[in-house]
Amino acid sequence: MVHAAAATHSHLLKKDHLKGFLRKLAKEYRLVAPVRNRHSDVLFTVIDDLDAAEIELTEPPQNSLKQFFLPQQERLYTYTTTAEGYDFQPVQATIPPTVYFGVHPCDLSAVLYMDVVFSRHQRDPFYLRRRQGSVLIGVNCNSPAPNCFCNATGSGPFLEMGSDLQLTDLGDRFLVEIGRAPGQALIERWQVFFSPSADKDRAAHYQTFLEARGRFSRQVHVEQAIRQLEADTVPEQVWTELSLRCQDCGGCAYLCPTCTCFTISDQQLDDAGGQRLRSWDACTFAGFTAMAGGHNPVQAKTGAIRQRFTHKLRDDVRQNGRPSCVGCGRCVGICFGGTDIVRFVERACQGSL
Amino acid sequence: MAGLATTFGSGAMTNSINEIENAEVILVSGSNTTEAHPQVARRMLEAVDRGARLIVIDPRRTRLAECSHLHLALRPGTDIPLLNAMMRVLLDEGLADDLFIEMRTENFLALRDMLNRLDLAETAELTGVPLPLIRQAAQLYGRARKAVICYCLGVTQHVCGTENVQTIANLAMLAGHIEKEDTGVDPLRGQNNVQGACDMGALPNMLPSYQDVHNEDFREKFERGWGVKLPEAPGLTLVEMTHGGAQGSIRGMFIMGENPMLSDPTLSKVEETLRGLDFLAVSDIFLTETARLAQVVFPAACFAEKSGSFTNSERRVQMVRQAVPPPGECRADSEIIMELSRRLGYAMEYDSSGEVMEEIALLSPIYGGMHHDRLEQNWGLQWPCWDRNHPGTPFLHKYYFTRGRGHFMPANHTPPGELPGPEYPLLLMTGRIYHHYHTGTMTRKSERLTRECNQAVLQINPLDAKAQGLRQGETVRLVSRRGEITLAAGITDQVEPGMVYTTFHFAEAPINLLTNDAFDTGSRCPEYKVCAVRVEKIMDS
Repeated sequence: MVHAAAATHSHLLKKDHLKGFLRKLAKEYRLVAPVRNRHSDVLFTVIDDLDAAEIELTEPPQNSLKQFFLPQQERLYTYTTTAEGYDFQPVQATIPPTVYFGVHPCDLSAVLYMDVVFSRHQRDPFYLRRRQGSVLIGVNCNSPAPNCFCNATGSGPFLEMGSDLQLTDLGDRFLVEIGRAPGQALIERWQVFFSPSADKDRAAHYQTFLEARGRFSRQVHVEQAIRQLEADTVPEQVWTELSLRCQDCGGCAYLCPTCTCFTISDQQLDDAGGQRLRSWDACTFAGFTAMAGGHNPVQAKTGAIRQRFTHKLRDDVRQNGRPSCVGCGRCVGICFGGTDIVRFVERACQGSL
Repeated sequence: MAGLATTFGSGAMTNSINEIENAEVILVSGSNTTEAHPQVARRMLEAVDRGARLIVIDPRRTRLAECSHLHLALRPGTDIPLLNAMMRVLLDEGLADDLFIEMRTENFLALRDMLNRLDLAETAELTGVPLPLIRQAAQLYGRARKAVICYCLGVTQHVCGTENVQTIANLAMLAGHIEKEDTGVDPLRGQNNVQGACDMGALPNMLPSYQDVHNEDFREKFERGWGVKLPEAPGLTLVEMTHGGAQGSIRGMFIMGENPMLSDPTLSKVEETLRGLDFLAVSDIFLTETARLAQVVFPAACFAEKSGSFTNSERRVQMVRQAVPPPGECRADSEIIMELSRRLGYAMEYDSSGEVMEEIALLSPIYGGMHHDRLEQNWGLQWPCWDRNHPGTPFLHKYYFTRGRGHFMPANHTPPGELPGPEYPLLLMTGRIYHHYHTGTMTRKSERLTRECNQAVLQINPLDAKAQGLRQGETVRLVSRRGEITLAAGITDQVEPGMVYTTFHFAEAPINLLTNDAFDTGSRCPEYKVCAVRVEKIMDS
């Protein structure tokens, strides 16, 4: 499939010319890419100085693109106190058109999922004003990291659709596939950087894909866990043991590229008024569901964990036909208690034997 | 601190935090690790996943106790008998490390004789832990090749805190579980820089780098460095200062980043003392209960607003870098001190925290090789780090103890300063919860953390609650000989009958109005963990 799809719309970009191409893009767009900082952490960063930035395309970045479309804390409104009550004014923001470069398939899949959450039933203007005018340039994963399992969630290691341009590292050159019209426009505008791909390039692309698929160090049986959740056969013990180990830090939800739950709070700044903020939240927090009198409809001990995994693996499959876990492995790295989604899948599947 | 200093010669974690992951047996005593040190608990759970055995000594059934293989639910204040009983089992079963004792320690005979005089059954009875469980714990610990003991304030905040720690050190030396990687005794520090504060001599009897103030040579070194004459006598300890009374000998105080009006025992005495001062200055990032009593308040910069270094629990010195400028008139603590000092007639002229670090390296041997340019790299350095080429020290006491030989300090049971009786039938323990930090000066300003928890809860066993006719969440009155507060009842079997537990984070339920100001004679640490109280149902009028 990968091979056939690539045949019609692919180009080559020599690695030597990558920086030149990005420099052209940076003239018209804000440029965001995974950059290794001086503490050697890789993070999606707004690049101001292309020559000073060390762009890292292999090691997965620690953050996802979530923060760019749904900031950890965003001011939605300001309000003034009037004699009649409160007068709310939406906060105007001009988001520069942005190119997100070097996005791995998991993170691309996550953006597509967020698009569904924030625009299918109700259009969220604050999300959409950041998302509109953004260009996604993906890069396929030739060597998945140790915690990666996107092969089990259907979101990698190679992506065939969803991005505007999709790059595959072929050693000294990238094979560039066009996914959407904005990508086509970029190629046409800067065609001097690109050359047509030949059969041997497409063969190399397919070969790289096959090799990447064989490089996963984990076998995570997500499909089987989904079936167990659907049949409601996950042993109760799995939930109690996991919830005992969960240390309630919320790290999984904050790092997860598809966890989009938020809370809204009003902050009074002075006598004259204040602001309305939207901030990230996590369903594993007791306060996420607790009611004013202290009653919590989610059974605190096991309910929060159950809610999280059931949503990711069962409810989203029911609604969208695929889990909202994209297999990026970030929660595996951050989890204090060893109660991440991989651990859940493993435990749930053991229970079925 | 004092306990490990007298036995090993160094009052700090002997291991690095990461080493805990590789231990075969982890003995945790008096530490609610998942709530108070989640990053350490993470390593413990990781070790358990790799097959390690976890033994938890705690009167409460904490979350870590639930994850453990053995939970020794001792009566509060009986740590020494429990550990002595474990040591006696090691002796009886030939699990003592004779070679280690011979080569590396002294005063073993005193310990052996004391242990041999013990009546095991009686001792077990005293602790409330069944003897077979104690035996099992001793065997697990004694037979392991790599074993780590982690302890925290549940061990130290007792009248016999120093002896408790010495007894832990005795156990480790008896089993030979020290001097090796992944093996040792690890006190967990509660704050990001409390180790650093001790290292820098924020102790009544020590100059920086644990150089005793009694020692003339040490004093002379600092006198040359600072150009002043230093006092020969040790200073006062915290409780001596905050419990001096209205007419105490101390007339003026400068308190930095500490909130004794909520954190010290018997608050009525603290208030009397602070109000009785001629002058009080406080520097803090928010206007705390203590700062409200001050004549002068210095607004301080927080961690993200200044540069310098912190020293964490595993003796690791790491850089902290300014991320944002301090708001308004706030200044870094060091700037406040320097400016104050200048106006008092002693000019401290340091242009940067790096320059201060150079002086530290000059005067404090264990920090001898620590300079900012080195700390900038990787994750900092662990002391002792004697010179510029020294790589730092991941675990202590390899080949020899800091004090030469490890010194056994046998100890006998010391009952707590106050125990329940007919009038005050319940035993109160105090501690911390996951979502708040100390007196809540910072954490209670976070909307998310207060949403998770915003009130003091008194943990009480269902049997005791039933006897009083209490409902879950009901507001109750908690009374001790020293005062009373009201707070919500949380009915849970995490605490045994006869015990109650709560936290000291909440100014509206200041538990330290009730706690006892009995303190440990060695370290002068107050006994926060045990006092006698009664719970009263509040009747509708």
